Amino acid sequence: MKDNRVIGRSGHRVILPRLVMITTLCCLLLCATAFAQRPKPAAKPAPAKPEQARAIVLRGGKLMTITHGTIENGALVMENGKITAVGAAGSVKVPKNARVIDVTGMTVYPGLIDSETHLGLTEISLDTTTNDLEETSDAIMPHMHVYDAFHAESDLIPVTRMNGVTNAIVAPATRDTLPGQDSFVQLAGKSSEEMLLVRDIAMPLNFTGAQRRNESFQTAKFPQTRMGMAAQLRQAFIDAQDYSQKFADHEKKAADWEKEKKGDKPSLPKRDLKLEALLPYLEGKRPVVLAAEEPSDLKVAFGLAREFKLKVILNHVSHSQILVDEIAATKLPVIVGPIYETPKDDERYDSVFKLPAELVRRGVKIAFASYDEHNVRNLPYQAGYAVAWGLSREEAMKAITLNPAEIWGVSDQLGSLDVGKSANVVVADGDPLEVRTDVKRVFIAGHEVPMESRQTRLRDEYMK
Amino acid sequence: MRHPRALFLLCLLFLAAGSLAAQQPAAHNEVLIKNGTILTITHGTIQNGSIYIKDGKIAAVGQVVEAPPTARVIDATGKFVMPGIIDSHSHLALDNDVNEATSPIVPHMMMQDAFHYTDKAIYRALAGGVTTSLLLHGSANMIGGQALVMKHKYGLDREQMLFPGAPPSIKFASGENPKRVYGSRQQMPSTRMGNFAVQRQALEDARDYMRQWSAYDAKAKAGDKDAKAPKRDLKLEALADILRGKFLVQIHCYRADEFLTEMAMAREFGYKIRAFHHALEVYKVADKVAAEGIGMATFADWWGFKHEAFDAIPWNAVMSMRKGVRVAIKSDSDDFARRLNQEAAKAVRYGGATEDEALRMITLNAAWVVGVEDRVGSLDVGKDADIAIWNHHPLSNYALVDQVLIDGEVFFDRSLPGFGMTHYKEGQ
Repeated sequence: MKDNRVIGRSGHRVILPRLVMITTLCCLLLCATAFAQRPKPAAKPAPAKPEQARAIVLRGGKLMTITHGTIENGALVMENGKITAVGAAGSVKVPKNARVIDVTGMTVYPGLIDSETHLGLTEISLDTTTNDLEETSDAIMPHMHVYDAFHAESDLIPVTRMNGVTNAIVAPATRDTLPGQDSFVQLAGKSSEEMLLVRDIAMPLNFTGAQRRNESFQTAKFPQTRMGMAAQLRQAFIDAQDYSQKFADHEKKAADWEKEKKGDKPSLPKRDLKLEALLPYLEGKRPVVLAAEEPSDLKVAFGLAREFKLKVILNHVSHSQILVDEIAATKLPVIVGPIYETPKDDERYDSVFKLPAELVRRGVKIAFASYDEHNVRNLPYQAGYAVAWGLSREEAMKAITLNPAEIWGVSDQLGSLDVGKSANVVVADGDPLEVRTDVKRVFIAGHEVPMESRQTRLRDEYMK
Repeated sequence: MRHPRALFLLCLLFLAAGSLAAQQPAAHNEVLIKNGTILTITHGTIQNGSIYIKDGKIAAVGQVVEAPPTARVIDATGKFVMPGIIDSHSHLALDNDVNEATSPIVPHMMMQDAFHYTDKAIYRALAGGVTTSLLLHGSANMIGGQALVMKHKYGLDREQMLFPGAPPSIKFASGENPKRVYGSRQQMPSTRMGNFAVQRQALEDARDYMRQWSAYDAKAKAGDKDAKAPKRDLKLEALADILRGKFLVQIHCYRADEFLTEMAMAREFGYKIRAFHHALEVYKVADKVAAEGIGMATFADWWGFKHEAFDAIPWNAVMSMRKGVRVAIKSDSDDFARRLNQEAAKAVRYGGATEDEALRMITLNAAWVVGVEDRVGSLDVGKDADIAIWNHHPLSNYALVDQVLIDGEVFFDRSLPGFGMTHYKEGQ
């Protein structure tokens, strides 16, 4: 129980000890298990069935590898959907019949990963017929799977990937505490099946206060308060534990019955998909994305996570500046932002802008998210603005590439320009974190994605 | 004998105090910004340039300027100096009083009556380089209320924050918002036909009101003692003022067909439209909008939030500009108001605006939309000394505002402790 010492010092004895434990476990498990977790048929990312006919070589550009520095005048080879060589232009061997693209003066970097979007769940925000954002009939809906709604042909996807975002977490909206399970997608492919790299990757647990159902006194229903939200969540996890126990008991009874075959064979308990959906999370097989903004909410959410030994990825923490040291002590990764969240009136105007830099300074692994659908393409600008507020450019790039890949357990496939990884590669005419930079080419699993969208078609039509 | 001497001493003291008093404001009123990269907006970029400010106005701009040694010096070495940003479409500091959504025609609403002048949102936008904002009524109404033009002099009294002499603007809106608000209540308008029928009837009512008053005025002038003045009606009076050309008409609308309808109605009733706001489909009919001399205040790349925003493209601003439309990029958001420079940078990215053209969209063009282009929006002699000083080029994502001056006075300084404010008192 050495964790207790940590707690004694920080004075938060209830919340932290288990968390530290969970954290360590979580970090260990995340990388090890999340990828192994993927359901078999969809487990293979798109590069597994590549139709990339010819090798493609990007030669002459500045390669931001993320893992091993920047290579000026480099070359990168893509074959069969994978990166097969990365290095100085002179040292990389060009395969026979390769299509060589001169990218002199360009910057080449891995496809960007957005750690929370609603892509494929909505087309027009105010047009309800186009929305599958959230099943709001109940606050506890862990059996809602984003993959059942993900719309591969959404017009929003080409708009997004044209700016270099190639992968994203798709999450339900956040009106309720447990709205369902997230998927991890690739933003190109012939069908939703091809694009859903990990069907159930994590479960959001939202505790920001916005989930209270207290819009008006007339329409209020449970949970109307934070007390209600916490009680309801706790009950849901306890019910799931009971449910799990029921099956364990049955297994034991069935085994006993098999020995003697006396009396009726014990009947299987009725399956309940809602409770069943919580089990991988109670068993620590998949992470829970714990969303809280204010210190008080973060403490309650931490408490729940500790009580049920949940594996945790933190989300937002926008107004919890006073807890940055505690957050760092947990070693949990943080999806930070959006940094555009308005500060509270008693906070300085730059308090949220500075948060990524403050977290990284304390050793926290961060990733950025747009938390958006139509404007996911602007993800790199958020990272860039965090640089203005003290984050290093290297860390900012990592927070939209390698860090999310590691946090989501897909870093063997994505997040850097390394041999063996999926050829998700972006070519731009400058610094990826600057608004003025134009993205010129995007490759996803070795395929060059057409730089076309609903928006370019409208542009071209009216440019005539 | 001691008496006259004491008097003399007292006189001396008074003199000293008097000269101090005379000197202090003078020193305060004279500022020299030195050695910066000056982004003038109207006459290019001046490297290692200076600006001399006197009595709140720009008195000189150039590589070498003459300034008295009493002027307070701001060293802008390595920094970028541009005119304060102008947000031509804002609802900040209006709390939940943006929309009087109880009738589609509410031209007698005055935003000044809702102006929450101590709202911290004003300070946050100031810290992003914004010095002037047009606070508009919401878009639930075909004809909404009268706007307020504010200078972001956060910490001062309400009256000191109003832009003196700014022309009055009035808000119009068409399309989905009024449809949704009244349609959901089973009221007119629930369609675009309803939208424009309501608007046209309101303007006809105004004509009728004007006729009643002219008839009365004619009678009174002719000496008719029995002439009875019509009842004064604030709503009709405001509508009549639209027809009399007393307002800059600022119209919220998205679709190409709506621009055409609004322009036709303006011609029919004889008023001028100053600018279309949001204006996401101007690129489809830009030549027509340009021909009428109408400006636009638009989002850089926001789209898809509703059906009438689904044809929005990020090239809209530059495509429309190339056809001759005066384009401003605005926030319509307390968040975007803090980083309009980054929104302007999108005009470089999408369509290849020059840096000057992009910056003009958040300065001089925006000032034109608000009707204060003679006063602010560029670094020219005679204009108000509303100036933002940045640590990098303002179109860079890495740029932060170091200082903001309004009327020659510093209102924000990032290096200060606490909130970085010069006029703000804790607990205010």
